[in-house]
Amino acid sequence: MSHDAPLLEVRNLVKHFHVGGGLFGGRAGVVRAVDDVSFSIRRGETLGLVGESGCGKTTTGRCILQLERPTRGQIVFEGRDLTTLGEDELRPVRRKMQVIFQDPYSSLNPRMTVGQIIAEPLAVHGIVPDPAQRAARVRELLGHVGLLPQHARRYPHQLSGGQRQRVGIARALAVEPALIICDEPVSALDVSIQAQIINLLEDLQAQFGLTYLFVAHDLSVVRHISDRVAVMYLGKIVEITDRKSLYDAPLHPYTKALLSAVPIPDPALEAQRERVVLGGEVPSALNPPSGCVFHPRCPIAVDRCRGEVPELREIRPGHRAACILA
Amino acid sequence: MGVLLEVENLTTEFVTRGGVVRAADDVSWDVGEGETVALVGESGCGKSVSALSIMRLVAPPAGRIVGGRVLFKGRDLLALSDEAMRQIRGREIAMIFQEPMTSLNPVLSIGRQLTEGLEIHLGITPREARQRAGELLAMVGIPDSERRLGQYPHQFSGGMRQRMMIAMALACNPSLILADEPTTALDVTIQAQILELMKDLSRRLAVAMLIITHNLGVVARYADRVNVMYAGRIVERGTARELYANPRHPYTLGLLRSVPRLDEPRRARLDPIEGQPPDLTRLGAGCAFAPRCAFQVARCAVERPRLVPIGGGGHVSACWEAANLDRAVARSGAAT
Repeated sequence: MSHDAPLLEVRNLVKHFHVGGGLFGGRAGVVRAVDDVSFSIRRGETLGLVGESGCGKTTTGRCILQLERPTRGQIVFEGRDLTTLGEDELRPVRRKMQVIFQDPYSSLNPRMTVGQIIAEPLAVHGIVPDPAQRAARVRELLGHVGLLPQHARRYPHQLSGGQRQRVGIARALAVEPALIICDEPVSALDVSIQAQIINLLEDLQAQFGLTYLFVAHDLSVVRHISDRVAVMYLGKIVEITDRKSLYDAPLHPYTKALLSAVPIPDPALEAQRERVVLGGEVPSALNPPSGCVFHPRCPIAVDRCRGEVPELREIRPGHRAACILA
Repeated sequence: MGVLLEVENLTTEFVTRGGVVRAADDVSWDVGEGETVALVGESGCGKSVSALSIMRLVAPPAGRIVGGRVLFKGRDLLALSDEAMRQIRGREIAMIFQEPMTSLNPVLSIGRQLTEGLEIHLGITPREARQRAGELLAMVGIPDSERRLGQYPHQFSGGMRQRMMIAMALACNPSLILADEPTTALDVTIQAQILELMKDLSRRLAVAMLIITHNLGVVARYADRVNVMYAGRIVERGTARELYANPRHPYTLGLLRSVPRLDEPRRARLDPIEGQPPDLTRLGAGCAFAPRCAFQVARCAVERPRLVPIGGGGHVSACWEAANLDRAVARSGAAT
């Protein structure tokens, strides 16, 4: 495989969920959680995936991991389309893709010690079959994430939020993955701890050549950590480009509104700042608006936006946006 | 501007398995009429407990207010009878919580939840209360209010539920609203809507607000004055402008430096506060922030600093090195 080939390529990913019509009746419907999403991530790169709740960013991550089987589309990882693989064929691939969750408390087994939590994938995947060597590897991993060897004997509830997230990271690292999907990895943490974890993720990326898909809603954090950024709204990517273009010259009105909604920690600046406050709320993915899904909230929408689905097109080199007015 | 609420030396303790925790430790602050004041800090710093203590909602036997006074319009709320306190709660002082779904009653209609307080506190008829409820919903930007009154919380989105909470808080024309992380559970664009709504209403109705938050951006935009809390104590206070432009406590400085900012060039590396917040059952005699502090001196480990004035305009800081902090900052700034 050539060095320039992307590590991961998501092609026309669609994920629909069927709802209703169950025990309590109700009208059956289809939630278009992810609706024709395509992007790729190069080796060693960090792609930020931003959007509000329900935009499909987490489902996209779960489809990549094959925790959800896509309705349509391809997930090409290291040259192989994962959607065509069976469970047995997927198992070795799963080693290469790990995930770090938002809430480290609910994603760590409360009845296992930190040492057991980190050692488990090493045993399951048969990476380090010898228990003594496994313990040594656990100590090494604890060191990589800034914890001490004695933390191996603690239980999750004895750790702070930041320490628990470090354990989650150590567990993900244990199997030496190529890709880590970070799903809101710092949003449940205190401000002073967030920066620690972000620095740690960056150090580990440099040390182990990791590739990140960084799913988050915090635009300031995403700018800090990402090389490229994709903005999602109601199941679709509305804008995707490199970090600098997105933050210096956003093209899509939704991206502009998101950026303007972030309050800046400086009262003098905030007092002068003009804000675009979007009206309305994100519509239901069960019944998305016609045409451009953003048009009911868009401050610059014209009649055409109601009928025409905008294509995600290249407006400047390497900068794509789905807006007919961009 | 007169003083509306004056909290003096408030101390609230909780009995935990690990020992007694002083969640709020000798805390004093105040809110002027119509003013918006922020309590800022990270989880466990005592900001929510301070608000609950004012409302006397700290649950015994685990939690107890062990000292201090809470003067509201000159009366000490901690000395009132339960009955008199009920007249204050919801009527004179209202509260907005972080997660509206858990603070609304899922089996009562929106209309009933709004009218209940109106009937109890204002003694008006159900018909009048229903009319007022409709007006309140319209005021917080919920259209089609007549139909909405018959709906239930699960039929509302997160943003609408928080609008509903604001309507409930405003129902009896309170003079103070305590808002505990009012927008933390909301999406960025909805957060902006709700904050603008709160700011607009507080100005228009001249309601004072205490905003409890960990978000420094929210504070910068909406607060007149800021109290920064760490490990149960206030470590710095000042006007928002003064505090952000000239932080004089290493914790405030650390918080401001640790967040990436959209208005500044991207930094190669973030500047976190190292270490963890302290275990409140094992606080020593010194400054609680000392173990994480880049500016600590020998005295910090043994003697706890008190809040002392820095410059003018009510800016206070609890740090032995507060006077030297600006020079230290300039030095470290030059070094990076």
